[in-house]
Amino acid sequence: MGKITGFIDYTRKDYSYKKKEERVKNYNEFIILRSEQELRNQGARCMDCGIPFCHSVGCPVFNLIPDWNDLVYRNNWREAYEQLEKTNNLPEITGRVCPAPCESACTLSINTSPVTIKQIELAIIENAFKKGWVEPKHPFTETGKKVAVIGSGPAGLSAAQQLRRSGHKVVVFEKDYKAGGLLRYGIPDFKLEKWVIDRRIEQMEQEGIEFETDVVIGEDLSAHYLRKTFDAILLAAGAGEPRNLDIQGRGFEGIYFAMDYLKKSNKYIAGELKEHEIINARDKIVLVIGGGDTGSDCVGMANRQGAKEVYQFEILPKPRIWKEDWNPEWPGWPAILRTSTSQEEGCKREWSILTKKFAGSGIKLERVHCAKVDWKMNEATKKMKMVEAPGSDFTLDVDMVFLAMGFLHTEHNRLLKHLGIVFDGKGNININNSYTTNVPGVFAAGDASLGASLVVRAIYQGREAAKEINRYLMK
Amino acid sequence: MEKAGLYDPFYEHDGCGVGFIATINGQPSHQLITDGITILKNLVHRGATGGDLKTGDGAGILIQLPHSFLLKEAAKQKFNLPAAGEYGAGMLFLPHDNSVRKKVIALIEDIIYKEGGKILGWRDVPTCPGCLGRTAMDSMPYICQVFVEFPSLSGIELERKLYVVRRIIENEVSESGISIDEFYIPSFSSNTIIYKGLFVAPQFEEFYLDLKDKDFQSAIIIVHQRYSTNTFPSWPLAQPFRYIAHNGEINTLRGNINKMKAREKTISSDLFGEDTRRLLPVINTDLSDSGIFDNVYELLFQSGFSLEHSMMMMVPEAFGSKYHISEDKRAFYEYHSALMEPWDGPAALIFTDGVKVGAALDRNGLRPARYTITKSGRLIMASEFGVLEIQPEDVLQKGHLSPGKMILVDTQKKRIIYDNEVKSTISRRKPYRRWLEQNRIELRGLFQPPGPVITEPGFLNLLQKVFRYTLEDINMIITPMAENSQEPVGSMGNDTALAVLSEHPQLLYNYFKQLFAQVTNPPIDPYRENLVMSLMSYIGKERNLLEETPLHCHQLKLQHPILTNEDVDKLRNVTIEDFRTATVPIIFNVKENGKNIEKAIKKICDEVVRKVDEGYSLIILSDRGVDENNIPVPALLATSAIHHYLVSKGKRQLAGLVVETGEAREVMHFALLIGFGASAVNPYLAFETVADLKAKGKISEEIKLETAIDNYITAIKKGLLKIMSKMGVSTIRSYRGAQLFEAIGLNSAMINKYFPGTPSRIGGIGLTHIFEECLNRHRNAYNRNNRSNGLESGGNIHYRSFSEKHIISPEVVILLQKAVRENDYSLYKEYAELINNKIKNLCTLRGLFKFKKREAVPIEEVESEKSIIKRFVSSAMSFGSISKEAHETIAIAMNRLGAASNSGEGGEDEGRYNTLPNGDISKSMIKQIASARFGVTSNYLVNSRELQIKMAQGAKPGEGGQLPGHKVDINVARVRHSIPGVMLISPPPHHDIYSIEDLSELIFDLKSANPDVKVSVKLVAEVGVGTIAAGVAKGGADMVLISGHDGGTGASPVSSIKHAGIPWEMGLAETQQTLVINKLRNRVRVQVDGKLHTGRDVVIGALLGADEFGFGTTALITMGCIMMRKCHLNTCPVGVATQNPELRKRFTGKPEYLMNFMRFVARDVREIMAELGFRTFNEMIGQADIMEADNLSGNWKTKELDFSKILTVPLTNKKNKLHFISSNKYDLSNTIDIELIEKSGNALENMQCINMFASIANSNRAVGATLSAEVSKRYGSKGMPENTINCKFTGAAGQSFGAFLAAGITFELEGECNDYLGKGLSGGKIVVYPPKNSQFRPQNNIIIGNVSLFGATRGEVYINGMAGERFAVRNSGAVAVVEGIGDHGCEYMTGGVVVILGKTGINFGAGMSGGIAYVLDQDQLFDTKCNLEMIDVEPVVGKADHKRLYTLISNHIKYTGSEYAQGLLRDWTEIQPQFVKVMPIDYKKALERIKKAESKDTEVVSLTEEVY
Repeated sequence: MGKITGFIDYTRKDYSYKKKEERVKNYNEFIILRSEQELRNQGARCMDCGIPFCHSVGCPVFNLIPDWNDLVYRNNWREAYEQLEKTNNLPEITGRVCPAPCESACTLSINTSPVTIKQIELAIIENAFKKGWVEPKHPFTETGKKVAVIGSGPAGLSAAQQLRRSGHKVVVFEKDYKAGGLLRYGIPDFKLEKWVIDRRIEQMEQEGIEFETDVVIGEDLSAHYLRKTFDAILLAAGAGEPRNLDIQGRGFEGIYFAMDYLKKSNKYIAGELKEHEIINARDKIVLVIGGGDTGSDCVGMANRQGAKEVYQFEILPKPRIWKEDWNPEWPGWPAILRTSTSQEEGCKREWSILTKKFAGSGIKLERVHCAKVDWKMNEATKKMKMVEAPGSDFTLDVDMVFLAMGFLHTEHNRLLKHLGIVFDGKGNININNSYTTNVPGVFAAGDASLGASLVVRAIYQGREAAKEINRYLMK
Repeated sequence: MEKAGLYDPFYEHDGCGVGFIATINGQPSHQLITDGITILKNLVHRGATGGDLKTGDGAGILIQLPHSFLLKEAAKQKFNLPAAGEYGAGMLFLPHDNSVRKKVIALIEDIIYKEGGKILGWRDVPTCPGCLGRTAMDSMPYICQVFVEFPSLSGIELERKLYVVRRIIENEVSESGISIDEFYIPSFSSNTIIYKGLFVAPQFEEFYLDLKDKDFQSAIIIVHQRYSTNTFPSWPLAQPFRYIAHNGEINTLRGNINKMKAREKTISSDLFGEDTRRLLPVINTDLSDSGIFDNVYELLFQSGFSLEHSMMMMVPEAFGSKYHISEDKRAFYEYHSALMEPWDGPAALIFTDGVKVGAALDRNGLRPARYTITKSGRLIMASEFGVLEIQPEDVLQKGHLSPGKMILVDTQKKRIIYDNEVKSTISRRKPYRRWLEQNRIELRGLFQPPGPVITEPGFLNLLQKVFRYTLEDINMIITPMAENSQEPVGSMGNDTALAVLSEHPQLLYNYFKQLFAQVTNPPIDPYRENLVMSLMSYIGKERNLLEETPLHCHQLKLQHPILTNEDVDKLRNVTIEDFRTATVPIIFNVKENGKNIEKAIKKICDEVVRKVDEGYSLIILSDRGVDENNIPVPALLATSAIHHYLVSKGKRQLAGLVVETGEAREVMHFALLIGFGASAVNPYLAFETVADLKAKGKISEEIKLETAIDNYITAIKKGLLKIMSKMGVSTIRSYRGAQLFEAIGLNSAMINKYFPGTPSRIGGIGLTHIFEECLNRHRNAYNRNNRSNGLESGGNIHYRSFSEKHIISPEVVILLQKAVRENDYSLYKEYAELINNKIKNLCTLRGLFKFKKREAVPIEEVESEKSIIKRFVSSAMSFGSISKEAHETIAIAMNRLGAASNSGEGGEDEGRYNTLPNGDISKSMIKQIASARFGVTSNYLVNSRELQIKMAQGAKPGEGGQLPGHKVDINVARVRHSIPGVMLISPPPHHDIYSIEDLSELIFDLKSANPDVKVSVKLVAEVGVGTIAAGVAKGGADMVLISGHDGGTGASPVSSIKHAGIPWEMGLAETQQTLVINKLRNRVRVQVDGKLHTGRDVVIGALLGADEFGFGTTALITMGCIMMRKCHLNTCPVGVATQNPELRKRFTGKPEYLMNFMRFVARDVREIMAELGFRTFNEMIGQADIMEADNLSGNWKTKELDFSKILTVPLTNKKNKLHFISSNKYDLSNTIDIELIEKSGNALENMQCINMFASIANSNRAVGATLSAEVSKRYGSKGMPENTINCKFTGAAGQSFGAFLAAGITFELEGECNDYLGKGLSGGKIVVYPPKNSQFRPQNNIIIGNVSLFGATRGEVYINGMAGERFAVRNSGAVAVVEGIGDHGCEYMTGGVVVILGKTGINFGAGMSGGIAYVLDQDQLFDTKCNLEMIDVEPVVGKADHKRLYTLISNHIKYTGSEYAQGLLRDWTEIQPQFVKVMPIDYKKALERIKKAESKDTEVVSLTEEVY
C-alpha cells in the first residue's frame, strides 16, 4: 500500500493560507488546499504503518487514516470518501477545525514531519461533495422507534444521523435559530463558513431527520412531553456554562464572556442580528483573557471588526519554543508554543499573567490590574503551583475584555432538573459506559457529559451513543 | 511408550545408516555376513544411543535363508528340514511371560495347522543379552524361530501362503489383545530371514550367537543402523523390515494410510483369490513409517508386481517436463499416478526378495547411497564410502545413486542391472503410453485463459460479507496476488490472537496450523529445485490397485488444482461416458434445518454417497446459492467430512471431489482444502473480487483481467508448492489428504468426527460454535440497515482499532519505550499490566494461565536480578535485516549485562571481535549457523561462546530466507562474502542436514571447529517437536531452543507468519515432557522465545520447562522500533531494520534502553518468584502444575479449552530432573586432529612448514576443523601463508573432511571422501585423488560425496574424479577444479570459481547469484541441464578467462596428477573452445555496476523474485 518511499521522496506541504492582510478584511475562510497532484504526493508520504498511531492513538474517531491516505495517493477519491465516511459524520468540519492530534501521533512525527492528514481529510470530503457522492442514505427499514436529540452540535448531529440510518425516527431539538450549535455560533466564519453546516443538515433532512429549532426543551416543551413522545432521549446540549473571572470590577461594562461575543458576531455575519445588536470591537483596545482556541477566535474576530489593539493574556507559563517539525512528545500532544492563524494576524501575547482587578470609571471599564506569576513545582504533590512574583504588578488600559477561560459544564437547566439527571463532581452529566444517564432511556453525549472538549470527540461520542441507543431500542 | 501429556509416540522419527552387500553370482558365504557386520559397525556414528547411553536405537540384518546352517541347527533340535525353498522359517519375537507365550504358540500352531501347514520344529535363538543396555534388556522379547512347510507348495507360491498365514496370525494375536511390543514376526519366509533388535552395531554381533557360525551364509546381506528421536525405540521397529530397509522418512504417511484404507475394500488379486480379504488390513498402524511402507510394498510384490515395479509405483522418480526422459517411462509414471500416490519423503530404500537386491533413491535424492563394484564380483552399497575396506586394485567402479535412480543385483541372473535397463523394461511391460492416450480424460479448453468474470456489485459485496472478506484480505492479500503472482510478504511476526482466542468471527481455516519439516526430514526448495515437484493429478474413479488395465487411467488429468469458473462449467457439462459430474450443494438451509448443522452435514454426506453409488465419478461440492435463508457450510468442514465419510464407506477412491467455494481466498485455504481431501478448488468469489478490483482500477492498467486472474492462480500454485515443500512433500498427489496440519482450539468430538487423525491437543470449540460464527457472519451480511458497502478493516496484519487484537498495541509500544528511556520501573509495570491483562489483551494461551496460591518468600531470599539476567538473550536478528547500529547496540547491551546477543544468520564483521576503546564488546556471543552459511568461517566459529544451528524460524518455519538486493550494501556484502546489490538467498534446507544423523554430524563439525563452544539448535513449536528435541539432545546439542509461531522476521510470506507453527507454550511443554520422560532433560538446556514481553511470560516459560529466554521484538521496540512492519522494504523510518544510510541516521537506540528492559523483566520475574515462593530459578523450572487454567475469564470460546496436557509434570526421580544440570562431556579425544595439532606445534607457533602423513577412515570426521581453530585463534581469518601445514592422508575420509580448513593448511587425500568435503572452507587447500594403484578411470567415478564446499568462503580444492550432488552449494569464494559432478551443481553460489572438466547433472546453477563456473561442454547439451533462471551461459572468450582456466587446470594437474586433465591440456586448442562460462545475471550486472562505480542506491523493490 502507498508509495513505499513516499516519505523520503516528498516533503510535507500543508494547506496554504491567504495573506493575513487580505484575510482580515472579511470573515471568509482563507485556507487554500494544495493541487490534486500535490495532495496525492502528500498521501504518498503515508507509510502505512504496522501500527498506525494516527488512527489508533491520535484520532478520537479512529479515522482509517492510512487507508484513505493510500487511496488518495492512488487517485481513488471515491473509495477514500467511503472509508472516511465510515468513521466520521462531519469530516468537512474536522477537516477545518480539528487540532489534528492524528498528526502529532503520525509516525513521521517521531523524527520528521507528519503527513498532512487533516488537509487530506478536507480534500476528500470536499471532493466528494463536489462530485455528488455525498448522498442521503435512507434507512432500509423503519423500526418505528422515536428518538429525541437535544442539541444540534457535533455530538447531536452525528448521533442523529447514525440513529436515523438505523431506521429510527429522529427529531433534533435546537434552542437557537438554526441547527449547528457550537459549530454555527461558536466557531467564526473565517474558520468555518456556515454553508458547510447547512449542506450537511440538508443531507440529514433528506434522510428524514426532523430539526425543531428555536425550541427550548424544558421551557417550550416539557420534559414530560418528551418522555411520553419518544422512546429515547439523547442529551447533547454541550458545555455552555463559561468559567467566570470573579474579581473586583467584574461588573464593569465591556467585560464579556467570549462565547457571548462570538455568538453575537457570528449571528451578525449570518444576518440574524443587526450590527448594533452585537458586541463590537471596532477601534477598541481589546484584552482576551485565556490563551486557548476560544480566546484565539476572539482575537481573530476582534481584528476583523477593526480593533485598535488586541492583547491576549494567559495565566499559564509560556510553553517551550519548538521550531522542528517533529514532535518531541510523540505520540502525544506536545506542550509547545503554538501560534494560531488569528494570533498571527495581530495580537500581543503574554504568559504567566494573573488578572487581579478590573477598574474603570462609572460603569465603563478602563483598565485591568495584573501581576506576573511564577509556576513552581510542589515537591509533595508533584503539581505546579502558582506564586505571584513580588513587585510585578502592572496595569493595562483596555476598552473591552473577553473572558475565554474555558467552560465549567453543561447548563443545569430545567430540562435536566425535570428529568432528574444526576451530575458528576464537575457538573457534567453522569453517564456509564453505555452512555446512559441515571434515567433509563435517557442518554448523554459530547461536551454535556464530557466537559468542554474537541469537536472530533463530540462526534465520536455522538456515534457511540447512537450505537448504544440503537442497542437499547432493539433489545 | 504410552502417550502422556503432550508426548505422543506417533511423532517419533528416525534416521539412520543403511547398506547392503551382494555377491553378484549368488554364491553364499560367511565372509559376506562378516563384511555386512563390519559395515554396520562402520555406520555406528549414524545411529544413536538413548538416555542410558548404552541402549542402541536399533540395528539389524536381513539375509538369505542360511539353509545349511539351519539344517545343522534343526538336526540339533531333532527335526529335519526339506530342501531349500520348500519350507519357511519364521523369526519370532514372543512374550516373555510363559503362559502368554504358550498361548501364542498354541495359536500359531493352530493357525498353521488349519491352513494346511505343518510345523517342522521350533528353535530358541541363542542370544547373549549381557551386552545390552538397560532399556533394551528390559524390553527384550523371547526370540525364537519356527519352521513350517505347506505340502506341495514351494517357491513363490509358498511365499504367498506364508504371507497369508502370517497376516492371519498377526490379526488373531492382535485381536487377543497382545500388543506389537509383545508379539512380532520380524520375518516369515522361505527366502529370507531377519535378525534385529535394540542394539548399536557392536552389540549386535555379540548378541546373536548365530552370526559367528561359519555355516551362517548368504549371498545378500542388508544392514541397518537406526537413529531414533526418542529413547524408547522398540525391538520390532528396528530395521530391516521384511522387504525393505529405509533411511529417511515418509512425510505423507497420513494420506497414504487413509488412501490405502479406502482402497482396501476394492482390492482383489487372482493370486490370492478369497485370501485377499484375509490380508486386511494391509497396514499395521503400530509400525513406523518404514514399517507401514513395507506392509504396502509387500502387498504389491506378493500380488505379482516385481520388486522394481512396486518400488517405481510407490516411490516414482520425477517425470516433469523439465526431465529429458523416455516417453514410455514418463507414460509409465503418469499411468501409475492414477493408481497410487507417491509415498513421499526423503528415502534411500534397499529392497530384496532374497534373490534380487537393489536400492533406490526418491526423487529428491536427499539420502546418500554410494556403491562400489569390485572385480571380485561384489556390490557394496552404503550410506557412506569406506565402510568396508576394499583393495584399490579390486575396485571396478565407484558410484552413487542419483535422485530417483535404482540399482539392482539379480543373483539368479548373476548380473547387475542398472537404472536404465530396469526402468525401460518395466515401463514397456504394458502399452502404458497407448493406454494413457486412449483413456486419459483431458477436457478440451480446461485451463485456457479465463474469460470475463461476471460480477454484480451489490451481490458481490453481500457475498464478500457472508464469507467475511475484509479490506485487508482484498488490499493486502488478493490484490498483490493478482498483480505480482505471488503471496504478499510481511515482517515482524504475528502478534494477533489465535482464532480460538479472538472475539471476532473466524473462518474455520484459522483454527489450523501448518506442519513443517525440521531436522528429521528436509524441506524441499520449491524455487530452485521445483523440477522435482508437481501439481498434476488424476481425479475420478480409481480401480483395483492390484491390477493393471487401460481403464485404470480413465480419469481426468488436472495440471494443477485451481479451477477457473469456466473450468467448473466445463466439468459440469462433461459428456464422456463413464465420467459423469454431479453437483452437491454444501449449503445449510435455516428453514429446513433450524440449527441442526450436524444433521445437515450428514445429509450432504449421504447425498454425495448416493451420487457416487449412482456412478458419478466427479462430485462438485458447491456453496453457490447463498441467500437470506441459505448459509454456506464452511467448505473445509464439508470437504473433510465428506472425504472421511467416503473413506469410512470404502468409496473414497470412486470419485473425485471438486470444491466450488466463495470462501477460499488465500493460499492457506487451498492448502487446507486439498490437504483434507479436495482434488481441485474453484474460488469463484476470489475471482469475482479480482474482477471487481480490476473494474475499480485497483489493479494496474497494464495488467488485463485475464492476466490478473492468471496471476492470482499462479500465486496460489506457488503458495501450494511452498506449503508442500515445507513438509518435504513433492507432489500434490501425495499431499492430498495427507492432513499435514495441527488444529488449535477445536474439540475432540469435532476432530474425531470430521477431521480424524488431526492432532488437536487443547480441546476447544466444537461444531455448534463454528456454526454460530457462520450464522453471525451471515446475519451481519444480511442486516439490511447496515448500509455501508465497506467491509471490515481486518486488522490481522496491520493494527486497526476495534479489529483483531494485537499483543503489541500502540499503548504497549508507547509505554515500553517511555519506561526504558526514562528508566522508570513503574511505567514498565504499567506496560506489563497491559500485556498481562487477559481481559483486555487476550492474544496468547498463557493469557489464560493462572498461578496457584502459594506461600510467598521474602524477596531478599530470591536469586538476584543479575543472576536471572544471565538467562536472557536477545533473539537472532541478522546484520542485513537490521542495521549495523541496531545490531551493535543490542550486542553491547547484552554483553554489558553478562548475557548474550545472537548474530543471526548474516555473519559478523570481524572488526567487532576487538574490544571497543570504552571497554564495550560489540560481538555477538551467540553466532548462528543458518542454511546459507553466510560468513561462517573458522574464525567466526572460534569467536563465539555458543553456536546456534537454525533449523527453523518462528515466522517461516520450513522456509529459507532472502535478503533483497537493495538491502545488500557494501558492508552487508562484505560480511556475507558476497557482492553488493546482489540478492542473497538462504535455501529452505541446510544442505548438510537432511535428517537427524546429519544434524548430529554438524554438531560434531562445529564442536570440532571450536571445542570450547556450546552448540544449540533452534526449532519451532509444532506437534512432535518434543521428539525432535529429544533427537537433537541425543545428537549432542547443549541446548534446544523452542521458538513460538509468533516470532519476528525481517521478511516472510504473510501466510507463513500467520499459519505455520504453534504457540511456544505447547511446543515448550511438549519438549519438556518428552525430554524428562526420555531422561534427557538434565543434560540439555532449553530456551524459549517468541514474543516474550514481561516477567510473567518468563515465569510461565520457566514453569513450562525453559532455562533460558530470548527477546527479539521487544528488544527492537526498546531500540525505537514502532512495529512499522516494513523491514522487508528497507524503509524502516526509525533506522532499525534498514540499510538506507539516510534512514539509519534516524536510529536513536542506546544500550541503556535494552539494559533497562532486561533489568525490569528480571526484577519482575524476581517479584513473581517471591510471590510464588521460589528462591532459585532452577527450582521453578518445569513446575507446570503450579499453574491452572483460567479460561472463564476469557471470551465465550476460551471456556472450552483444556490445558491439562500442557500443565502436566512428568514423573521424575533422582536421575530424572526437570531442569538442566550439566552437559555431557563431548568426546573429541580420539579425533585425528589432536595428533595433527600436536605435530603442528612449531608450525602453529612459528609458521614453520611441516609435512605430515596419516591414514584415515570414514569414522574420522571433520578432520582439520580443530586444527583450523588453532590457526584462527592465533592468526584470525587471514590464517597462515600457503602450505605451512601439509598433511597427506590415505584411505576413505569421513564426512566433513577439511571442514572450515584455515588458510595455510593443505590436505592431500589419496583415496576417497564422503559428504561435505571442505564444508565452510576458510582458506585451506584440499587435494583428492584415487589410490595410485587403483585402475578405474577417476573422471567417470565418484570419489567424493555430496554437498562439497558448502558455505566455503575461501580456499582451493582439486578433485581428480567426480563429485556427488550439490557440488559447491553456497560457495562464496572458494576455487575448485573437479572432473564431473552430480545434480544441482553450484546451487546458490555467490562467489568463487568452479571448473568442471566433465559432465554435470541437472539443475546446474539454480539460484546462483555470484561467482563463475567454467564447464567443459563436449556434447553441447550443458545448457539443457542448467537452471537458467538466474544465469547466462557464454563462450569463454576473454583473455583473462583463458588464462585463469589454463592456470587452474595446470594447478589441478600439478596437485593431483590427473591424466585426464593432462589429456585436455595436450589438446588445448581444440578443447578450450568447448568450455563455456556460467555467469549469474545479477552478478554480471553488479560487476558492471561496480566497474562503473555507480553506487547509487536504487529504491525499486524487486517484486519479480520471491522476496522471502
